[in-house]
Amino acid sequence: MTTVRAAPSPWREPVVLLAAPAVLYLVVFYALPLLWLLAKSFIGPAGLTLGPYIDFFADPFDWRVIANTLGIAVQVTLVCLAIGYPASFALARAGAVLQIAMLVSIILPLSIGVVVKAFAWQIVLRRDGVISQILVAIGVWDEPQRLLFTEAGLVLGAANIFLPFMILPIYSLVKLIDPRLAEAGATLGAAPLYRFLRIVLPLTLPGVVSGVAFVFSMSVSMYVIPSLLIGDRFQTLSTLTGRSFLFMRNEQLGSTTAVILLVLAVSVVIGSGWLARRLGGRA
Amino acid sequence: MPNDRTNLSRRRVLAGTGAGTAAAILGFPAIVRAQAKEIVIGGAANFAPWMNGTVAAAFEQKYKTKIIYEGTKSLVNLEKMQKNKDKPYLSIVMMDDPVMILAVKEGLLEKLTPATVPNLAKVRPAAVHMDGMWANYLQPWQGIAYNTKALPGGVPTWAETYDPKFKGRLIIPSLQNTEGLANLVVAAHLETGKPMEQAQFEIDAAFKKIKTLKPNLLTVYTQIPQAFNLLETGEGWAMASLFSSVVIPKEKEGAVKMSVPKEGIFVGPAGVCLVKGGPNKEMALALIDMLLSAEMQDKLQAETFAFPSNTAAKPPSGIGADVKVHNLDWGFVAKERDGWVKRWDREMAI
Repeated sequence: MTTVRAAPSPWREPVVLLAAPAVLYLVVFYALPLLWLLAKSFIGPAGLTLGPYIDFFADPFDWRVIANTLGIAVQVTLVCLAIGYPASFALARAGAVLQIAMLVSIILPLSIGVVVKAFAWQIVLRRDGVISQILVAIGVWDEPQRLLFTEAGLVLGAANIFLPFMILPIYSLVKLIDPRLAEAGATLGAAPLYRFLRIVLPLTLPGVVSGVAFVFSMSVSMYVIPSLLIGDRFQTLSTLTGRSFLFMRNEQLGSTTAVILLVLAVSVVIGSGWLARRLGGRA
Repeated sequence: MPNDRTNLSRRRVLAGTGAGTAAAILGFPAIVRAQAKEIVIGGAANFAPWMNGTVAAAFEQKYKTKIIYEGTKSLVNLEKMQKNKDKPYLSIVMMDDPVMILAVKEGLLEKLTPATVPNLAKVRPAAVHMDGMWANYLQPWQGIAYNTKALPGGVPTWAETYDPKFKGRLIIPSLQNTEGLANLVVAAHLETGKPMEQAQFEIDAAFKKIKTLKPNLLTVYTQIPQAFNLLETGEGWAMASLFSSVVIPKEKEGAVKMSVPKEGIFVGPAGVCLVKGGPNKEMALALIDMLLSAEMQDKLQAETFAFPSNTAAKPPSGIGADVKVHNLDWGFVAKERDGWVKRWDREMAI
């Protein structure tokens, strides 16, 4: 005879207790400030209001700021994907020594602060910088030009800084793909492009989606990098939020722009998660 | 084996010391305060070297009172005053004029008069504001910084910054920065032909003109060190309306120098005020008087490279006696600035 035990309450599981410090930390230092921010954006001098949001969306300039923010984030994500996708295959297929060297070269820059890297990119993107010199040398440009304080410069600099966050999730899936799958496809007469589109790409898509979510959410909210690489004449939601708090001392406007930015970033992350689950299930 | 040679165990010593300290702090605070004759001053972080050096030494020697200097941003100093309004701990605050106006509105300042601060009578009238609520002491002046290799002859006029030869080479401050407002006034002056003091109120004309500067702009900065580096390395050729306190100390390195434009220079709004109800008022007034004195302003020239507000003080080296000095109407600026910043974002965007 077997006895059926009632499932233990998840609250009595020791594993829940293990998570308690992290939960407490996140509640105190993340969730509560976030709630405060949210509340601030809805509370005006006369009580609850949607006024700041109505004012924000009524101003065509603010739509331009949103377009700047999303546009740059999309471009940075696409550049990271274009470079990171093949790079993650190279990393997964490399020999042991080369793989370690590549991993170190990808992970080590993460230990350097964003400010330092952005300053370094300022030098690279100048008129006398490396990129300009190379483009002149290979005949793309007739004379040195600067990429600093241009959208192209910002995309290049930001993509470099966020690239590891695209490579690593894709790499983690690529290294699990059995190379014999593609070979099997080849023996069945599948052309290389067909094999890539029907076998390799579906298997790596969850990694791509994760990488896209990482890079997009970081680049949509970046503050220091645009401040240093494109300056005050290109406003994004982050720089507008910073200015509202630090200069205008308009907490309500700052909270409003911060909440809008948060909603955009969270939507992408949730959307990516949903897509990853669907694609993962299909694969 | 227990040590029985003395009754003083480690525990007893610690307990005794703790009790003594507690008694000293809790039981005799008035005595403790009376012994420490000091005043606390809030000011800009970059003023700390000379405030803690030249000024503190002279003041301590004359008044036997120690200066505790808290260096930070003007807005942070304002917050300190707001938060401690009922029981101020700052005696004096040194802030930019636009922030002073906010402090006056909130009733945080106490008026200065020649009776309480004798040197106030010798300060240029344009440097005493809102009927004596605060006064400017040393004012960093604003000209045009230039890269000596790119422009060996300097930049002789503000108007020249509009010359197409500067295409993509000119750096200007954001309107968020105090020094950024001078460029708007210059633009109004160039557009209307009116003197600077009148032109500063012609904001539509100012924006109409300054928009034409866009092709020449390398960048609009909010952080001076980053922008200054661009000038030093030659990526930028000129920085319009930068403070003398940033440029002059670097002139000896040779890469960058400061031009005094023919149309004149602007002086920065560095003010000093008395905190209402602040501690040790007598010493606070004495220190303000010292900061406004010709002797102290002459002494600080070498460290601050600023324009003196006392009429008896010497002008900064490198500036002729006949140079035009322009002051902005900071009351007008404080009222309108947020609107200008919004307009700037829209009209000066890339």
